[in-house]
Amino acid sequence: MEFFERFAIPHPSPVIYASMVVIALTVIAIIAGLTYFKKWGYLWREWLTTVDHKRIGLMYLISALLMLFRGGVDAIMMRAQLAAPDNKLLDAQHYNEIFTTHGVVMIIFMAMPFIFAFMNYIVPLQIGARDVAFPRLNAISFWLFFMGAMLFNISFVIGGSPDAGWTSYFPLAGNEFSESVGTNYYMIAIQISGLGSLMTGINMITTIMKMRAPGMTMMKMPMFTWATLVANLIIVTVFPVLTVALAMGTMDRLFATNFFTSANGGMDMLWANLFWVWGHPEVYILILPAFGIYSEIISTFSSKNLYGYKSMVASMVIISVLSCLVWAHHFFTMGQGAASNSFFSITTMAIAVPTGVKIFNWLFTMWRGKIRFTVPMLYSIGFIPLFTIGGVTGVMLAMSAADYQYHNTMFLVAHFHNTIIPGVVFAMLAGLTYYWPKMFGFMLNERIGKWTFWLLSIGFVLAFFPMYITGLDGQARRMYTYSEATGFGTLNMISFIGAGIMAIAFALIVYNVYYSIRYSPRDIGSDPWDARTLEWATNTPVPEYNFAISPQVNSIQPFWDAKKKGHVLFPDKLDKIHMPNNSGMPFILCSIFFVWGFSFVFAIWPLVILSTIGIFACLALRSFEKDHGRYISVEEVKETEEKTGGAKL
Amino acid sequence: MKIDHSQPLEYSTGQNNLNIFGFWIFLGAEIMLFATLFTTFFTLEHRTGNGPTGAEIFEITPVLIETILLLTSSFVIGLGIHAMRLGNKKAMITFFSITLLLGLGFLGFEIFEFVHYVHIGAGLQTSAFTASLLTTLGTHGAHVTFGLFWGLSIILQVKKRGLTPETANKSFIFSLYWHFLDVVWIFIFSFIYLKGMM
Amino acid sequence: MKQLFPAKQVMGFVFSLILTAIALAVYFLDVSFTAGLTILIVTAFVQALLQLIVFMHAGETKDKWSIYGNVYFMIFIALITIFGTLFLFSWDM
Repeated sequence: MEFFERFAIPHPSPVIYASMVVIALTVIAIIAGLTYFKKWGYLWREWLTTVDHKRIGLMYLISALLMLFRGGVDAIMMRAQLAAPDNKLLDAQHYNEIFTTHGVVMIIFMAMPFIFAFMNYIVPLQIGARDVAFPRLNAISFWLFFMGAMLFNISFVIGGSPDAGWTSYFPLAGNEFSESVGTNYYMIAIQISGLGSLMTGINMITTIMKMRAPGMTMMKMPMFTWATLVANLIIVTVFPVLTVALAMGTMDRLFATNFFTSANGGMDMLWANLFWVWGHPEVYILILPAFGIYSEIISTFSSKNLYGYKSMVASMVIISVLSCLVWAHHFFTMGQGAASNSFFSITTMAIAVPTGVKIFNWLFTMWRGKIRFTVPMLYSIGFIPLFTIGGVTGVMLAMSAADYQYHNTMFLVAHFHNTIIPGVVFAMLAGLTYYWPKMFGFMLNERIGKWTFWLLSIGFVLAFFPMYITGLDGQARRMYTYSEATGFGTLNMISFIGAGIMAIAFALIVYNVYYSIRYSPRDIGSDPWDARTLEWATNTPVPEYNFAISPQVNSIQPFWDAKKKGHVLFPDKLDKIHMPNNSGMPFILCSIFFVWGFSFVFAIWPLVILSTIGIFACLALRSFEKDHGRYISVEEVKETEEKTGGAKL
Repeated sequence: MKIDHSQPLEYSTGQNNLNIFGFWIFLGAEIMLFATLFTTFFTLEHRTGNGPTGAEIFEITPVLIETILLLTSSFVIGLGIHAMRLGNKKAMITFFSITLLLGLGFLGFEIFEFVHYVHIGAGLQTSAFTASLLTTLGTHGAHVTFGLFWGLSIILQVKKRGLTPETANKSFIFSLYWHFLDVVWIFIFSFIYLKGMM
Repeated sequence: MKQLFPAKQVMGFVFSLILTAIALAVYFLDVSFTAGLTILIVTAFVQALLQLIVFMHAGETKDKWSIYGNVYFMIFIALITIFGTLFLFSWDM
């Protein structure tokens, strides 16, 4: 294609032109607002240059919520298109772009940053640390994710969205069938944010292994910290696989190599293979931290210790290994022999065992507990039956012989939404409600929260359960329409109504935030839920150094013991505190990465070379930089502690 | 910053310990990175299309020279770390410089090898086999190239700032990286070249 | 001068050269494919362990179990990825 043609949208529509206008207006409004209120300096000093794990966590959270709505709009459009047979709302190409971006945005740019938000904010507090092991690297991780997300999101107004599905199977994703730059965006944007995820993985493992408070042995770590450790181990294991696969896909598209082509020996299914070597463990990267959050919440609101701590840990470790052993169940129909299909069938079904152990542990935690039905607890209770249905249909899909019937139908779509929405999304919303007072100093409104939960659950059931039926009847996924004779019309209309109810629920969350900012009481102390673990032993708002004195840990619930059993949490004297300095380098480095990615997408080689040099220049500068951090004096700590209501000195 | 004098310099502060530990985790990721490249290579090895096979293009002499150069450099940087622990800055810088020179020699031979492959019609675009071969070798070569610049900047820092907890820490981590590249090369040497020529 | 060349590392180097020489046998001598591959697997992994223990000092701190655990876990998953893929694409197709 001609150089300038590549920047044009291949399939323009009024919606896209409207989005362009909206994006332009939003950018102008943000710039004007920042200038008018003189907030540029504040933004730079307090946020863009921050290395504080809590602020980075909040930035992940905001990005994740934005992306949730971005992906949610895609979802509504898809359901609207399918609501009636032979619908003309979207054409085939537009539909392809939408299901592709929906998948990528929800997994990579919504779910991942959402779990990173909690990992960043909560884990250092739970283990009694002052920050993560590599604060600067943490900022780089965030900004790489952010720039990757931005790069992916501009695709639909500059050059066209990717349209080969979130799995981008070759040869469909190759040059022959995907001419526009859309799939380049896919390859490069995920590459950039994937680098960030890998760095977070290294950072979190080091933090958890090396920076726990005195007395906190491995088997006294809170369950969310354990889940984070295991999830990050999987991240470090499988993200390099994605890195290599994406690099080879990029080379096929831009350098005319023959990894996944249909000519000169290339093998298209190798892409599917490598993609799922990463992709299947990826879903466990998302679900394990969600399990961790449920464990914390269920224990707190059952007013009981978590049942079966050791078996919880063991099952997560087993899941982490098994998750890397099942990838071929995504392509049982490829044409391989019965032996390999049987092997991957059995390993897949085996995962149900440790997961079942966890389900029973949560039930036994609630058994004879004093249950408080708060919003986070409602999500956790709703999660158990709904997720179990998703799990059971997963075992159905795991049977390779039967899979020939389910493969690429709406049954599969229903299954994985049935695990991801009650599993991950409910956990994120539960975690958001649970940790909101720690993050912002006030609670979200309970009444609106309960409405949200019920609407979301009902909407979810209405939206996805009909797909099990249409899927078994043979409705294929990723088809933009179907004929009236198939008889799928009614059930798809129910799905659409369900999706609409879910949309209302998500809108209620926004209203809840607004309502609570205005009306929620602010004098809630630092432990509003009567919780058990260390993150609640800090002041609210949490001072930048987290703990004035390193906590002393004796059991898996040191804060509870301190409240009820007279355990002394802070036995030491106050001392000066060493903290890392802020730095603008991560933001600048990742901005260069953005330019690098953009010019790579459009094959503007001079700019690629320039920005590559820029990236290495940043690395070299960092290498020669002398930065020993700074100390917060005892007086300053005392002052902050008094201001934040710390009576613990 | 608390400095623990009972430990070697590179382990003497809390941050230093974290750095070394974190780098080990990173090396774990690198194992998976190269494992994926090997996966690709083994899958595509015999899919040569219209291009040549491995047995047709591999030559033992340059490969053997590259192997000896990299093995020796790995040994020498080990001596460099030993010298660093003895506090012998001069010897350490000498050993590190020899390491980088050997690395440069390795890289020279590899570039020569690549040019040769392209020359005889085994370029990046020829077939799935050549693409996976050159990508695997190229990724290793890119690591060595990055290592040369990294090592150089560390030598400059040690020269200028002396052996401090920071510079010793960086040097030690760099040595881990360099040894790791040697390990990867051993696998390339055994399972790409020797197996291909067998 | 002598103390700059510790015996352990010199021995390690000599040993790795010997292992390389043994591996070369598959090229210079006439061995069967199976025998050759066995030789290569043994020499490559012994060399890797040698580097890990003698040169990389993997076991010198109290983190040694985390470090070894991490490395062995990655090698385990790496082998699974390699052989699982070969299982799918070469041996069972």
